[in-house]
Amino acid sequence: MKLIYEKSVEGRKGYFLREDPYKEISLKDCIPEYALSRTKKELPEVSEVDVVRHFTVLSKLNYGFDDGFYPLGSCTMKYNPKLNEHLALLDNFIYAHPCVDEDFVQGSLQIIYELNQYLSEITGMDQFTLSPAAGAHGELTGVLIMRKYFMDRGELRHKMLIPDSAHGTNPASAAMADFNVVEVKSNKRGGIDLVELHKLMDEDTVGLMLTNPNTVGLFDENIEEIAKVVHSKGGLLYYDGANLNALLGIARPGDAGFDIAHLNLHKTFSTPHGGGGPGAGPVGVKKHLVRYLPTPIVSYNGEKYFFEEVGEKSIGRLSAFFGNFSVLLKAYVWILSMGDEGLKETAKTSIINANYVMSKLKKFYKPVYDRFCMHECVLTGREYKKYGVKTLDIAKRLMDYGFHPPTIYFPHFEPYAEETIMIEPTESESKENIDLFIDTMIKIAEEIKAHPEIVKQAPHITPISRPDEVRAARNPTLIFKEINENR
Amino acid sequence: MKYIPNTDNEKKGMLKEIGVSSFNELIKDIPENIRLKRALSIPGPFDEEEIKERVYLIAGKNVNFFSFKPLIGAGAYRHYIPEVIKAIVSREEFYTSYTPYQPEISQGNLQSMFELQTHLAKLTGMDVVVPSLYDGASAVAEAVLMAVRITHKNRIIVSSLVHPHYREVITTYTEPHDIEIIELPFDKGCTDFSDLKNQLNANTAAVVVQSPNFFGGIENIAAIASEIHDTGALLIHSIAESISLGLLTAPADMGVDIVAGESQSFGMDLNFGGPYNGYLATKTRFLRQLPGRIAGETVDKNGKRAFVMTMRAREQDIRREKATSNICSNHALNIVAANVYLSLLGKNGLYQVALLNTKAAHYLKRKFAETNNFEVFEYPFFNEFVVKSKIDISEVKNRLSRKSFIPPLRVDRFYKKCENYLLFTVTEIFKREELDKIIEILGVSR
Ligand SMILES: Cc1ncc(COP(=O)(O)O)c(C=O)c1O
Repeated sequence: MKLIYEKSVEGRKGYFLREDPYKEISLKDCIPEYALSRTKKELPEVSEVDVVRHFTVLSKLNYGFDDGFYPLGSCTMKYNPKLNEHLALLDNFIYAHPCVDEDFVQGSLQIIYELNQYLSEITGMDQFTLSPAAGAHGELTGVLIMRKYFMDRGELRHKMLIPDSAHGTNPASAAMADFNVVEVKSNKRGGIDLVELHKLMDEDTVGLMLTNPNTVGLFDENIEEIAKVVHSKGGLLYYDGANLNALLGIARPGDAGFDIAHLNLHKTFSTPHGGGGPGAGPVGVKKHLVRYLPTPIVSYNGEKYFFEEVGEKSIGRLSAFFGNFSVLLKAYVWILSMGDEGLKETAKTSIINANYVMSKLKKFYKPVYDRFCMHECVLTGREYKKYGVKTLDIAKRLMDYGFHPPTIYFPHFEPYAEETIMIEPTESESKENIDLFIDTMIKIAEEIKAHPEIVKQAPHITPISRPDEVRAARNPTLIFKEINENR
Repeated sequence: MKYIPNTDNEKKGMLKEIGVSSFNELIKDIPENIRLKRALSIPGPFDEEEIKERVYLIAGKNVNFFSFKPLIGAGAYRHYIPEVIKAIVSREEFYTSYTPYQPEISQGNLQSMFELQTHLAKLTGMDVVVPSLYDGASAVAEAVLMAVRITHKNRIIVSSLVHPHYREVITTYTEPHDIEIIELPFDKGCTDFSDLKNQLNANTAAVVVQSPNFFGGIENIAAIASEIHDTGALLIHSIAESISLGLLTAPADMGVDIVAGESQSFGMDLNFGGPYNGYLATKTRFLRQLPGRIAGETVDKNGKRAFVMTMRAREQDIRREKATSNICSNHALNIVAANVYLSLLGKNGLYQVALLNTKAAHYLKRKFAETNNFEVFEYPFFNEFVVKSKIDISEVKNRLSRKSFIPPLRVDRFYKKCENYLLFTVTEIFKREELDKIIEILGVSR
């Protein structure tokens, strides 16, 4: 499709602003010559109608949750309630400036304060910071807290244990705190290999970053033993809460020995993904780590909400202001909509839905681990390799049937998890939609045997098909350049 | 249950098909010991109307911000946001979609990334752009880490007029990495660069300057670029108020190597501090050191133009601990907001908004100079300026808030020695008559 630049017509305007009422002031008297651009910046010139049409057409090239089933594993693509969107757009919230005196923003502070309490209760942690902007930002917060904790004790520890099944942000975050990443292998039941953990966990190790349920959708049944091993060497146990959906109201990371936990409000707590953000990645800690939290936090004295600096042990500041307020507000509203009963039902339904998918599909797509799963199941497309069909092809073919494909090739670790298809139906999907998805997956399995070419050439009905990614990376075209550069 | 379609009966049927007699059989892996055996102590569930009432009530505890025009900016600016932007970003195709991992059904997001990359390249004069990081603070912190990787040096010189919060975030991000940070002092409203030559040495990775700076001051960046480059260091330009780019010289034309910006002013609500949207813009030769997602143009299997996420071998999902950053989700929806804003305003509109900002701010400052209550300072500025108040600061606050203006920032909040200094921000939302009224309110001695 044409770029907005290719629709530009000289002199066309999309925005009308009143005349300059300060004619007596000359621009030259305001801005020194060395700083004043000699020409106007070459943005496009289009009308309001052009803009609205352009972006409406663009939007239709996208597939959102509201368009249909979005079983993207590890991403928890659940419904984003319209009520939340409405409340997050109230004037008193959206026009609130972050640097005003506290008495101007008692409402916003109350939301932050109460959400902190709810998240603490839901996870069993003692105190949260709501300022991290995403899961990975929360991880950065967490690893910096771990670092500070050991520095404070006068200990220098260098290693961070991370399972081979972990999400890429875990090792990347550990590296940002200058830790050496040491990989822990998964065992043949899909959990942490305890023998190896015993071997690796020592007094030079900061701790273990664990996702539980992990990225193969299994709850690590040895969690108590894992916590014991990590703590016995003075280490800290970090919880990647991307998969908290399965545990809501059933079990709490804080009761399972975790010292730090980050959550993804844009997964478990229903806030929209926005095409890849903004989300929010609050971090909760146990009492012994509260003093390291980033600054500031919101407190309440029975009358007034106010900001409080955390103190000299704090890891410092993580965001320009206090994080993604409107995202926090949406999560807050969702919690009120669900209550204890709704949270428990969320976890339960998400687990039933995932197991239902697995039980129906495991004959066709071999699971990585053939056990009951939690909120997502991880299958594989391995056996279709002999027809020349890759897992990628299966994913692409699903688009022809109107589905967003599941996550593919993640997790990836040998020898267990290869050619993975990670399916997370969430609690939002009805049985008939899930059945339709299952039938389609089975149909594709049949197609592969009968007409593999159809699958290998898929998708057939999407606006584009199989863009050349190698070319994009080899010859990067990263901005639009007019053919005639010398204007 | 709200938002959960399946009925209890359906769930029962599904359990049966799974081959279990109860839900508990599915969660046997969760040890009994750590199960929660009570109700969570949280409010709810409430129905929709109850929730609205509750939240409206809480919102009512804020001041009525819509009618309180802010004379405060300091990194978060209230500009007029055309309705078109909300209409577009509230389309479900944009706000309910995920990261564009499947380009076939994500061309909307991908093309929008590419378009914003182009807009920002035009504004900054740079070749490559990362259209979204969390905010301006994390953008400048990432730029610093990037400079350290590029130069293999570890001394960073930062202007003390870089937003104080941005400087704190730089400290947080660099703290684990044995990076030395030196601050340059300021003089009136601009950075004092007189000591820069002495501070620059062979181990300097970068100099970080914000312009317009925290006091609104426009720094003479071009004047320091060559001495920085002579030592092999990079020049990082932090921008908190990106509207200024509508009027000011493109950073690339001043010798800047990396622009680390905040694009909140391009169509994003104040929202009590977030979500905003950071961005980076730089030269092609630094492309491989950039953090975060970038869209590129290519063709599909039928030769049709297509956009994809590209240069992915920098990112965490591929490189894990060797990635250039851990960032995964960014602030993608705000890419759409900024893209729509800049497309709509276009070449003339952005210029006009920037012009109105700077003229309105200069108008107010000139008026202050005519009163006896404020001392003004001579330095070039965009839409923010510092004055020294001769009336009590709390009195200023009271007078302004009584007339529905949000008072300016007290500078001593961040610069302890600047007692009685105020940082006024004036954007295009102020009419000339309102500025006259402010002078009326503050110009009188009692
Ligand atoms: C297991 C896991 N950890 C961490 C993250 C990172 O979260 P974010 O994208 O919000 O930074 C994700 C998101 O994809 C994830 O699935």
